[in-house]
Amino acid sequence: MTESYTPLVVRDLHKSFNGNPVLEGLSLEAHVGDVITLIGSSGSGKSTFLRCMNLLEIPNEGDVIVHGEPVKFCVKRGERHPADWKQVERIRGKLSMVFQGFNLWAHMTLIGNVIEAPVHVLGLSKKEARERGMALLERVGLADRADYFPAQLSGGQAQRGAIARALAMEPEVMLFDEPTSALDPELVGDVLKVMRELADEGRTMVVVTHEMDFARDVSSQVIYLHKGQIAEAGKPGDILEKPGTPQLKQFLGPRF
Amino acid sequence: MPINFYGYGPRLLEGALLTAELAVLSLILALALGLLAASAKLSRSGPLRVLATIYSTAIRGVPELVLMMLLFYGGQIGVNMLTDRINAWAGTDYFINLNPFAAGVITLGVIYGAYMCETFRGAFLAVDSGQIEAAKAYGMSEWLAFRRVRFPLMMRHALPGLNNNWMVLLKATALVSIIGLTDMVRIADQATKATHLPFLFLIPVGLGYLAITTVSEIGVAWLRRRYDTGFNTDGA
Repeated sequence: MTESYTPLVVRDLHKSFNGNPVLEGLSLEAHVGDVITLIGSSGSGKSTFLRCMNLLEIPNEGDVIVHGEPVKFCVKRGERHPADWKQVERIRGKLSMVFQGFNLWAHMTLIGNVIEAPVHVLGLSKKEARERGMALLERVGLADRADYFPAQLSGGQAQRGAIARALAMEPEVMLFDEPTSALDPELVGDVLKVMRELADEGRTMVVVTHEMDFARDVSSQVIYLHKGQIAEAGKPGDILEKPGTPQLKQFLGPRF
Repeated sequence: MPINFYGYGPRLLEGALLTAELAVLSLILALALGLLAASAKLSRSGPLRVLATIYSTAIRGVPELVLMMLLFYGGQIGVNMLTDRINAWAGTDYFINLNPFAAGVITLGVIYGAYMCETFRGAFLAVDSGQIEAAKAYGMSEWLAFRRVRFPLMMRHALPGLNNNWMVLLKATALVSIIGLTDMVRIADQATKATHLPFLFLIPVGLGYLAITTVSEIGVAWLRRRYDTGFNTDGA
């Protein structure tokens, strides 16, 4: 086994909705242990970029390569589609996503949510998935909430539960889509703490966020998107302390 | 004190059984057709959408009675034309008699399938799209996402409408007496004409329908609890 694979490579991604370009040639490489944060004002395309990585949106152009395996596309009646949905499903299983609105399945208990995809997608036995799931709930501080339904959890608990659900897939890369934006301010800290721990243990993560402290302290790379393009990218110490473009200066606020 | 049904008692019970069988089988067919048509209406395929729209619009726009007669008489003529062709071609002498019970089940199933379609469609649309998106994001296939996420969440929204359709379907089974099926309404009608005692026969028939709907309400209550899991959180 070679160590030199790259969990996620995205090359020259383009996406438009109804002819309006949203992403214009975005690239990204997430190596093992990287934490890449995507920042930018709303409408900059950062969420769409993230959603193209696990094919929730189908990019019009460009490559998505997961663990060395490029997603295959075909063109039907002028529209680009994945050529092999089975491949897409397999690849999605390697890229767990944490959503802004949690999206825990409302009709299942928390532990039910955590074991659902490991059992039905990965084919684990219920017993094994449950053991693993309980350990994960323990990690995110929710072992005593295992049999609660999502509606009975606070936002912070639900999001930590959703992170446990993502971890249960043992993903190559975790994708976070504004994971703290829907939370009350006092609940944000708990979720960020879990995310910091994941980063510390060497998880590969791509995070869309508005939490500048998190971007500054945790990420190995910060990408600033502006109008569907990468306006600046680099180490957080560089681009967040010495922004090069007027847009990023303005985005970061009055300090610049 | 036993009531004297002038010898019609056992036949009334048989008729009630036929009504129940007819209703349950039609319901199963209607649910299957409704689910298929609703999926077709919401699918990405244009031809499927058109087909399902024609089905639900045309069927809901024509009286049950007309459709039933059309299928029963017209269906027999159609089958006859087909067998005649085959007989002429193969030199055989087949004849297929369209069984009134099957005709009744098919007609009621096809008609109420169109209503079920609309109920299911509305319920599908009521499911939060984030729930389906999460299923996709975790590598579920379309079918798995349907079975594990979309269907159970959709049923919560669909149940009141489905229950309503079921009640109407049950009562519409009375129409089959016109195509020669001896359901409980037809027997009560015969008995009333023979004895001139309408209350003696028609009140039990009414109670018979009420008995079926009461039993089904118990089943629906159970389903409602089942699909409310996770929503009605004080019951968890």
